[in-house]
Amino acid sequence: MAYLEMENVCVGFGPASHRSEVLTDASLSVHENEFVAVVGFSGSGKSTVVSVLGGLIKPDKGVVRIDGKVAAEPGPDRGIVFQNYSLLPWLSVKGNIEIAVRQVYPKMKSRERTAYIQRYIDLVNLTGAEWKKPHELSGGMRQRLSLARTLSMQPKVLLLDEPLSALDALTRGVLQDEITRLWEEDKRTVVMITNDVDEALLMADRIVPLTPGPSAGFGRQFTVDLQRPRDSATLNFNPRFKRLRNDVTEYMISLNEEARSLRRDVDITLPDIEPIQIGAA
Amino acid sequence: MKYKILKALDVAGLKVFEPIVRLCYGEEPRVQVVKIGKFIVVPVIVFCIFLGLWGMIAPRHKTKYGEVPTPAVVWDAFNGVYDFHVRENTKQDDYRRSGQDRSQTIEQVNAELAAIEPDAAAAHKHLDEVKAEVDASLKAELKPLQDEYNVMKTAAFDARKQREAELKEAADCIKADDTDARESLLASIIDHENKTDADRDKLDELKAKTNTLLAAKAPRLLAAQQQVNAIEEQRMYLNMRLQRLESDNREVRLADAETDLKAIHAEYLTASGPKLLALGKNIVRSEQRLEKTKTAEPAGPWTFFEQIARSLACVFLGFAIAAGIAIPVGILCGLSPVVMASMTPLISLFKPVSPIVWLPIVLIIVGGFYANPDQAWIQPSFLASAITVALCSLWPTLTNTAFGVAAIDKDHLNVARVLRLGFFTRLFKIIIPSALPLIFAGLRISLGVGWMVLIAAELLSSSEGIGKFVWDMFNNGSSQTFAQMFVVVFFVGAIGMFLDRIMIVLQRLVSFDEAPTAI
Repeated sequence: MAYLEMENVCVGFGPASHRSEVLTDASLSVHENEFVAVVGFSGSGKSTVVSVLGGLIKPDKGVVRIDGKVAAEPGPDRGIVFQNYSLLPWLSVKGNIEIAVRQVYPKMKSRERTAYIQRYIDLVNLTGAEWKKPHELSGGMRQRLSLARTLSMQPKVLLLDEPLSALDALTRGVLQDEITRLWEEDKRTVVMITNDVDEALLMADRIVPLTPGPSAGFGRQFTVDLQRPRDSATLNFNPRFKRLRNDVTEYMISLNEEARSLRRDVDITLPDIEPIQIGAA
Repeated sequence: MKYKILKALDVAGLKVFEPIVRLCYGEEPRVQVVKIGKFIVVPVIVFCIFLGLWGMIAPRHKTKYGEVPTPAVVWDAFNGVYDFHVRENTKQDDYRRSGQDRSQTIEQVNAELAAIEPDAAAAHKHLDEVKAEVDASLKAELKPLQDEYNVMKTAAFDARKQREAELKEAADCIKADDTDARESLLASIIDHENKTDADRDKLDELKAKTNTLLAAKAPRLLAAQQQVNAIEEQRMYLNMRLQRLESDNREVRLADAETDLKAIHAEYLTASGPKLLALGKNIVRSEQRLEKTKTAEPAGPWTFFEQIARSLACVFLGFAIAAGIAIPVGILCGLSPVVMASMTPLISLFKPVSPIVWLPIVLIIVGGFYANPDQAWIQPSFLASAITVALCSLWPTLTNTAFGVAAIDKDHLNVARVLRLGFFTRLFKIIIPSALPLIFAGLRISLGVGWMVLIAAELLSSSEGIGKFVWDMFNNGSSQTFAQMFVVVFFVGAIGMFLDRIMIVLQRLVSFDEAPTAI
């Protein structure tokens, strides 16, 4: 039984005459406590998937269901970690988490709340930076804070919108391990958007490629049955990992070529004109 | 400590003084000295050049109020303004003094009077000496000139007499048919007239020289005269104080009034008939007067510093009104495109209206709310000035607030949506904090505009304040008041600068990014 479901979702922008479809009949179902990675090329509508799942965009057609119930409005049950952190720059680390906690647990007592917030700060290794403002933090620390804020809401579903793509390679590796660790400690349903196949293989249970837009949908799915915990250092030598990576990459490239060939059909035929020389004797 | 000071300087927008702090802590002295030279010494030199140029150019222009004052004259004028303030305050204090305080002050004033006596005598003596000296030297200088004049005058007179005699002789012996001789006589007459005129011109020239000498006052004499004047003025002031303390004082007045009252009362007890009635009325009136005297405060003119305080109160009242209107309306405009669209014509229409147009309208409207302006707790002209300030200064805050709220980061709104924040939580926790830097940038411009508008408004509405001070000075029309107007220029500038600094600091405190907010 699928826990999070996206059924025949269509999303498009613009007026009817120049409508550009971003998602067409996209369906996805995620089991409870499953970690799904949605992989796609840039511009293929990955962020739209998160916005639809999170309720920030209302689909033109189709529905999103959580645990069988239709979820049209955004809410704290679906925590989103944005690519650009979306921290409130005038609040400290503590304040940023507090605003979420206050909203989700309005009845929590002040002392209890402080302890609760501290637990999440410690969880993402931000201890000591409680009173810092976001602009005083590094990119990795900001993303951890964003993660802590989202986790503190205890969402049923965690939606990660390219959480690591703004970070440098080293920080990215560290955070990949950290997110995986957090998920293993406290299992919940996760949908992560990424453009990195290795990252998806390292972290996810299942990879769902997004066919290139416009009119994107979900393609063939790959189950990642690598044993956990996965070690990024040794994974490179694992033959199953290599085979999976080849499969996914090849599939993605073929999708891309297919899309390109499709696009060539609508090429505009150029008018048959030639330059003439003006004023020649 | 060092970093705290540096941080404070940074927040206050006084980064220029950073090298001084660093130098005090012995950090790279060479670099700091170069920085001080470039960014502190050079500006100071430029300011000095400005003062120098001003001092050089100003006296060249003569006006009906005397020369344009130089920096030194303006400084003197400032001292004059300050002395006036101190003396007015003393005057009021003297009126209120009572008991031992009063007698002590009387003693003190007497001592001061006695103390300046020798100075006064010395100054007078010095003046007499200088006068005598100057007179003597003037006489010595004048003597040769006068002698020359006298000699020349006699010579010219004699020469004229002689020429006239010659002409008469020539005319007498001209024959009836001698046309040439007649012609030459005419030429001689012209020549005679010309010579007479030339002589007179020379004499006039000499006379003018003597007059300039007589008119020119020796600087020494002027200085001595000024000294005497200053001392005499001081003496007069002290005498006035003494007089006020001894007779024109609340305590004395009350005592006098009570004695009078007692006398009348005694008479009243024995009197009869119409006199009794008159005395009774007198008693009632006297008692009323006595009550009034007990609470009455001495009336005096506003001094410059009191007027500054009044202007500041006025500008802050206007600014508060402006902020109270502009921020809520701006937030509404930013939140709703419909409100923005409906407010835009009004904003565009009223924004460019000059304070000079608003003021009379506001004066009339505010006046309509006052039945009895003299007894009003807050004067109508003061309120009208403040409202004019508000009307002119609310626009920058309004537009900035609207822009700040409308331009809120979409991600922040997404956070609010995910958290399902209610309208007011979203407003106070997300929207307003996010727009705060821009709101404060607007408030800063508003306060600057308000301060500029206020002076004009006070000048026109005769509301006590700096503007009124300028107007009074303009109407007094002496070289002294002309210089005091220049004092006002510097005070208005300095206060405006100070207000701006305060706003910069506030703006820095609410800004969450590292972007510089001020020059």
